[in-house]
Amino acid sequence: MRALATIGGVAAVVLLGATGCRRDASEDPVSDAPTTTPYALEHPSYFPVPVIPASAPLTVEGIALGRRLYYDTYLSRNGPFEGLACASCHDQSRSFTVPTSGTNVLAHVNLAWSSNFLWNGKVTGTLEDVMRFEVEEFFQVDVAELNAHAEYPLLFQKVFGAGDITGDRVVGALAQWFRRLTSTNSRLDKHLRGEIILTPSEMNGAMLFLSEKGDCFHCHPTPLMTDNGFHNNGLSSTFAGLDVGRYAITGAPMDLGAFKSPTLRNIALTAPYMHDGRFQTLEDVVEFYNSGVQHSASLDPLMTKPGPSLTLGLTPQEKADLVSFLHALTDDTFITDPALGSPF
Amino acid sequence: MDTRTPHPRLPEIVLLLALPLLVALSGCAKEDEDPPGTADPVQPATITLRLEHHADGVPLLFDTVLYATAAGHTYSVSRLEYYITAIELLTADSTDVEPVVAGPFLVNARNTTTFDLGPLPPGNYTGVRLRLGLTPDLNLTGALPNTLENVNMAWPDGMGGGYHFMKFEGHFLNGGVPTGYAIHLGRNENLPTCHAQGGLLLDGSARTLVARFNMNEVFRTPHTYDLSTGSYSMGSMMLMGLLRDNCADVFTVAIEP
Repeated sequence: MRALATIGGVAAVVLLGATGCRRDASEDPVSDAPTTTPYALEHPSYFPVPVIPASAPLTVEGIALGRRLYYDTYLSRNGPFEGLACASCHDQSRSFTVPTSGTNVLAHVNLAWSSNFLWNGKVTGTLEDVMRFEVEEFFQVDVAELNAHAEYPLLFQKVFGAGDITGDRVVGALAQWFRRLTSTNSRLDKHLRGEIILTPSEMNGAMLFLSEKGDCFHCHPTPLMTDNGFHNNGLSSTFAGLDVGRYAITGAPMDLGAFKSPTLRNIALTAPYMHDGRFQTLEDVVEFYNSGVQHSASLDPLMTKPGPSLTLGLTPQEKADLVSFLHALTDDTFITDPALGSPF
Repeated sequence: MDTRTPHPRLPEIVLLLALPLLVALSGCAKEDEDPPGTADPVQPATITLRLEHHADGVPLLFDTVLYATAAGHTYSVSRLEYYITAIELLTADSTDVEPVVAGPFLVNARNTTTFDLGPLPPGNYTGVRLRLGLTPDLNLTGALPNTLENVNMAWPDGMGGGYHFMKFEGHFLNGGVPTGYAIHLGRNENLPTCHAQGGLLLDGSARTLVARFNMNEVFRTPHTYDLSTGSYSMGSMMLMGLLRDNCADVFTVAIEP
C-alpha cells in the first residue's frame, strides 16, 4: 500500500507538472521558463543530417536572438574588436564573408554540417565549440554589458529561461543562428532537383569536377562541396608563419601547409581565394590547380596524379567549363533572403 | 469545478497508471527467482568485431614512413578507410557458410574500428569470408544513409557511381623523394572477396572477433604492386583489378575472450 501511495504521489506530481507547463506557456508572456517555438531546419534530402546536439534544439526565438547578436556591434563592447559585429566581416551579399588582405575570411555557410572550424582547425567539435571561441577569445564578449542592456535580458530569458545572460547562453544563441545559415538553392541544387538543366558548359565543368582529370571532388564532394578535412594543396613548397596551416595546431610534420577545405558553395562571391587570398579570380584558382601545384613532403596524396607530373593538362575550354560550374554553385536566395539579413 | 477537490475516481486513475509498472516490476522479480536449469536454451551472445591494422606485424602508426611494399618502396599511411559487408563464418569443410552479417561497416582506421555484429550461432569455425567494400545491392549512388562519412566516400556517377570501397593514402619514397599515393578502390568489378583464415570457437558467450588487416598484402601476391607506376588507382580499372586480387588475403581473424 505504501508503494501504491508513492506511485500515486509520483503520478500526481507529474500531472501537476504538466498542468504547470501549460499554464506558463499560455498565460505568462514573460515567465521564468523559456517560451520557445521549435524550428525545423530544412535541407534537401540529398544533404546529410546536420549536426544539432540534442541539448541545443533549434527554436524560432533562439535563432532570432542569435541573428540579432550577429548583427549587433554591442556584442563587441569593451573587447578587442569594439565597434564591430560579426556581420562587419561577414556580409550576406558575399555569402557572409568580405574581401580581406592577410588571412582570408571564411564564409559562414552550411556550418551546421561542419566539425572542423577556422582555416587550421583550431576549433573542432560542434558550432557551440567554435562559438565559445568567438565569444570568449575572439570578441571577448562582456556579458555584464549584455545584462545591462535594455532589451537583451528579456530576449535571453525568452530563449533560455530565468537567469543572467552568461557566456554559454550567448554561445547557444549564436550557434542556433549559424545553423540557420543554410545554402541549398544554387543552380546545381535546382539541377539535382530536376527544376532546371545546367548549361552545356556548366555540365562539362561538373563532369570534369567529378572526374579524375579535374579531381576536385575528393576534397570538395557534393552536396556540401567540402569534405571538412585538411589538405596541403600545393600552394607552396616551404612553409613559414601562417602558411604552416594545421601544423600550428598539431605540430605534426605531415600537417605542414594543410588547411581546411572551404566549401565551394557561393565560391564565385567570396574572392579572393585560398587562406591568404593570393588568387583574385576563379580563373586564377583553376590555373593554379592546372599548372601551379608545388611539391613538398607533406603535399596531400590527393594532389598526386598518375605519373610524375602534378599538372592536370586542362585545355582552355575545360578551364572555362570548370569556372562555369563553380558559378553554378551560387545561391541567389541565400544572399538575398531578408530572414538572413540584418534585423536592425 | 473546484480544481482543489480531489477527482472522485483518482484512486482508480492512480491504479491504472501504476498497474503496468507493478506488472513490470513483478516480471523482473520472477526472472531473478528462476532456479538454475529451468532457463531457456543458451542464446548466442553478441559478437563484437574489432579491426586492427598492421604491416607484417608492425602496428599501423599514421604518417610515419615505416613500412615497405613488396616492390621495395618504403611508405607511410595518412588515411585508411573502407567498408566491410557480407561477413560469413566458414565451417571446417568451407562449403557451408553461416550466417551472413550484411553490414555495411565503415572502418576508419584512425578512430572507428569496433562494431557490434549481433548474435552469431555457436560453433567451431575455420575463418571468415567478407567483402572489402560494398556488395552490388549497396554500391549504388544514394543507397547508403546520407551521413557525412558516407557522402565523403561517394564514387561519382560519371565514373560508375556508388561508393569508394577503400581509400588508402599516404606517401612513399620514390627514388628518395616523398611522393603521395592514393589507392582508391571502387566499382562492382573490383570488389574484393576476402578469405580470412583463423580458428574461431564461438561458445555462445560474448566474444570479440578480431580481424587484422595487413597493409603489406595490398601490395603483394598475387601481384607485386609498384607504387611508382600505380600511385593513383581510381581512374584505372587495370590497377584496381590488381588491388582487388591482392586484397583477397589482407585479413586474418582470431577470437578473443
